[in-house]
Amino acid sequence: MSQAAEAGHAVSDEKGFDFGKASSGKVAMWIFLLSDAMSFGGLLLAYAILRSGSHDWPDPSKRLGIPFTAGMTFVLICSSVTMVLGLAAAQEKDKKKAVFWLCLTILGGLLFLTGQVKEYTGLIHEGAGITVDNMWATFFIPTSFHGLHVFTGVTYLSIITIQTARGKYTDGPNASANNIEVAGLFWHFVDLVWILVFTFIYLI
Amino acid sequence: MAGHSKKEYVVVFFVLTLLTGLEVGLKYMNLSRTALIGGLIALALAKATAVALFFMHLKSETRTLKLVVGIPLLFPALYAIVLISESIYRSGFTLMATAH
Repeated sequence: MSQAAEAGHAVSDEKGFDFGKASSGKVAMWIFLLSDAMSFGGLLLAYAILRSGSHDWPDPSKRLGIPFTAGMTFVLICSSVTMVLGLAAAQEKDKKKAVFWLCLTILGGLLFLTGQVKEYTGLIHEGAGITVDNMWATFFIPTSFHGLHVFTGVTYLSIITIQTARGKYTDGPNASANNIEVAGLFWHFVDLVWILVFTFIYLI
Repeated sequence: MAGHSKKEYVVVFFVLTLLTGLEVGLKYMNLSRTALIGGLIALALAKATAVALFFMHLKSETRTLKLVVGIPLLFPALYAIVLISESIYRSGFTLMATAH
């Protein structure tokens, strides 16, 4: 496959900003993810400041299910590896395999969302809620914001998977898996953020 | 593209799983509060970096893209260190000191 076909429109100029083979879509996604990281950073920082200034912050492991959430973390890690394997299959022009791995990735996202609904329902039944205290506020806001990202990712990947099944990224001499890679960036970022949320909100 | 091997993806997957297990194990060991926080943050940053470098292919991007992604993240990190230190100092080190 030619580099140009793989890269789409390469973003480079002669003035020293060398993005190599990275497509404009990829660079744009990275910039978006940076801004998204700032949003998560703000929420996590608000939590950190409230908690480090509090004298009676409860131990999260007394209120939250650590083993269950560790399982949810594992599901997201699995869906990240299926995502890259789907991309690799599409880059090798193997449409069937690409669709298979992408479907598993979506399934991982749905499983995570189901887990989160189950977790929230249980907690709310026990009297938890956003306005109950600072601990619950700084638990529900970042985790639901992250859940919204997982939902967005599932929607995004569903569209990409349908396009993949139709051969958009594998059939023909000019087909490029670039759009799958860009969607993958979003998906891995959601996994990356969860790694930090799991540590800061659940474990510490 | 031949740049990213499937074997590498699977190795990173196992490393991430192993580190997640280690994190949960650390939580249930009787470590001091400071050691627990330090260990957990180090493990989380290692995992996040692995996802960015290998799954998001940052390691094979140009230096320019690496810097475009990396440098802006230093500012919220610095902001966090200053604000959390201040908050801990003013509250009398409760986060680091309280057992539970």
